Amino acid sequence: MKKWLSMLLLVSMTASLLAACGSSNSNSAEKGGNEAGSGGTKKVVAWAWDPSFNGAALKIAEDLYKKDHPDFQLEVIDMAKADLEQKLNTNLAAGVKDGLPDIILVNDPNIQKYVTAYPGTFADFKEKVDFTQFSPYKVDALRIEDKIYGVPFDIGVTGMFYRVDYLEEAGYKAEDLENITWDEYIEIGKVVKEKTGKYMATINPNDEALTSILLQSAGSWYITPDNKGNFVDNPAMTETLRVYKAIADSGIAKPVTGWSEFVGSFNAGDVATVVSGVWQIASIMDAQDQSGKWRVAPIPRLNVEGGVNASNEGGSSWFVLEESANKDMAIDFLASTMGSSTEFYERFLTENGGVGSFIPAFSSEVYNQKPEFFGGQAIYSDFTRWSTEVPGISLGMYTQEAKDALKNELPNILNGADLTQSLANIQKHFGQQVQ
Amino acid sequence: MGSKWNKSSLMGWQFVLLPSALILLFSFYPMLQSLLLSFQSGKGTVYQYVGLANYGRLFSDPMFKQAVLNTLLYLIVQVPIMLMLGLVIAYFLNMPKLRFKGFYRTAIFLPCVTSLVSYAVLFKSIFAVDGILNKMLMSIHLIQEPVAWLMDPVWAKVVIIAAITWRWTGYNMIFYLSAMQNIDPSVYEAASMDGASKTRQFFSITVPMLKPIILFTAIISTNGTLQLFDEVVNITNGGPGNSTMTISQYIYNLSFVYTPNFGYAATVSYAIVVMVAVLAFLQLKVGGEKQ
Repeated sequence: MKKWLSMLLLVSMTASLLAACGSSNSNSAEKGGNEAGSGGTKKVVAWAWDPSFNGAALKIAEDLYKKDHPDFQLEVIDMAKADLEQKLNTNLAAGVKDGLPDIILVNDPNIQKYVTAYPGTFADFKEKVDFTQFSPYKVDALRIEDKIYGVPFDIGVTGMFYRVDYLEEAGYKAEDLENITWDEYIEIGKVVKEKTGKYMATINPNDEALTSILLQSAGSWYITPDNKGNFVDNPAMTETLRVYKAIADSGIAKPVTGWSEFVGSFNAGDVATVVSGVWQIASIMDAQDQSGKWRVAPIPRLNVEGGVNASNEGGSSWFVLEESANKDMAIDFLASTMGSSTEFYERFLTENGGVGSFIPAFSSEVYNQKPEFFGGQAIYSDFTRWSTEVPGISLGMYTQEAKDALKNELPNILNGADLTQSLANIQKHFGQQVQ
Repeated sequence: MGSKWNKSSLMGWQFVLLPSALILLFSFYPMLQSLLLSFQSGKGTVYQYVGLANYGRLFSDPMFKQAVLNTLLYLIVQVPIMLMLGLVIAYFLNMPKLRFKGFYRTAIFLPCVTSLVSYAVLFKSIFAVDGILNKMLMSIHLIQEPVAWLMDPVWAKVVIIAAITWRWTGYNMIFYLSAMQNIDPSVYEAASMDGASKTRQFFSITVPMLKPIILFTAIISTNGTLQLFDEVVNITNGGPGNSTMTISQYIYNLSFVYTPNFGYAATVSYAIVVMVAVLAFLQLKVGGEKQ
């Protein structure tokens, strides 16, 4: 009797366990985005990381696409960026494809990494989208060998946001900020600090955003197009680190340790300028009480050959999984909305303040709007004009490794170590990291 | 008699069969797989067998050395401080005359039930440049300029150590407290009659009687510190430079932040396994009962 009971217990436990496995399997298959639902509706699943930005863009695209394809359905799964990347990596490494979506958002520095590490995983868009319509540097990032993997999405063209009230108090006019070099920027910063008591900028030795902006503005990057370290004998790199140290030494920069402190510094009115990507507009406008006090100028340039007053920070693109069951539909969806529709970019800018890299949209009326917050400056048309000046670079596949190698040496550089020696150290370190 | 034993043993096996199978499948199989993985290298899914090359790379990898040094520093500095503190607090909470015992116990134990991420974020904001600590120190004129705690390689480590000490002291205290309550009060009574001071009693009675528990907490703390991840990632993200990065964070970076090289990441994981095993063995040798 007892034996019989225990057997029953065992069987029921096993059964319930297997049932649990089974049900989770069928769930993930559904999430994978096979034709789900009844009545012939087609569902495409997309992963994105910011519901109020790229998630919202997908919703606009869905709205537009549904006009011609009424049975189209899009499911947006929102995750933190790090979670999304981790999930993609583990799924692909494990070879489990049915948990993956049809469409996925990829941060630009990750493009080469994913395509090289997981060959054959992502669909080619070369014949599906007219890439001459996009800012060239965005397309360069997507082109690997003779394929173009995805649709360019938002850009991170940079500008120098500044507090017009602080700078006027220090005796500067808008013209004084046009086409300056970083050394001139530091000089202005010293005056601002002296006359207003406000910092000119923020500095975070643990964040490589500023060095990235400086490098790209001179058409250079941490790594060469063939994925070698680009630290030694690179004038742009040397100048970047010299400027970085000069900013740190001059006392014009407020030290911050993280993103929220960085945003907090300008929302609280502690700094006079913010050099950042165009997507920073949203955070700047969060401080409603500062309306009318902000303007945007081009960023300062590096005093080296090829240095321009325009750069880029961040940006992302949409990829489609090659083995997705709805590959063709997903490609068609992206190509006919974000890949070719001016209307999409108009709505994306109006509703979410997002600036894409689709050139035909730049001449649209909404790009000429003059937000009250920026004192009536036509900031979007300024940003798009600068975006055409950004030097195209190859991001390569080891950006993160190179940044970490640099980060490792940065405290020594800031403490006054010999720059040539430090650069050699970084190069060596990087070489060891990517073997 | 023999057949009866067999029958009940068979019954026992039926019960442990499923859990054993599950442990084999979900615990031992991945261990074996990751060991095999540690002999491969490549990017993402493009792998090849490289023999012991990953292990060779380990010894010339400056980032790995840095991570190991950081982790060992946390271990050497933090674990003794925390265990001593736990022991002392437990001793005071065990005093019969102490009032509001329940309140103190709860208050000291509470940190270790808070979420790892939320307390890390809290520490980060306390030690920010315009955080509460700087404001306090400035208001009592101890410092003139705010200190950038998290941007100094030394102070950042101190903050991490303070954070883990704050969270885990209460956890160890509970072990000591329960062990102390098992010590017969008459032992102390006898000691008092013989004229032993409170301090003498603590070092000559309490500590020796708690030896197995101290050993146990030392081993789990070592284990935990070697796997330290959340605090560092959330407070400093390994910075400034890589001066607070731990081995676990390095493994995470190799797998998910850099171009994924799961083979090498598995090798680094096995380095932790070896270190945990060696340290636990040493601790047992030094602190264990001699048979």
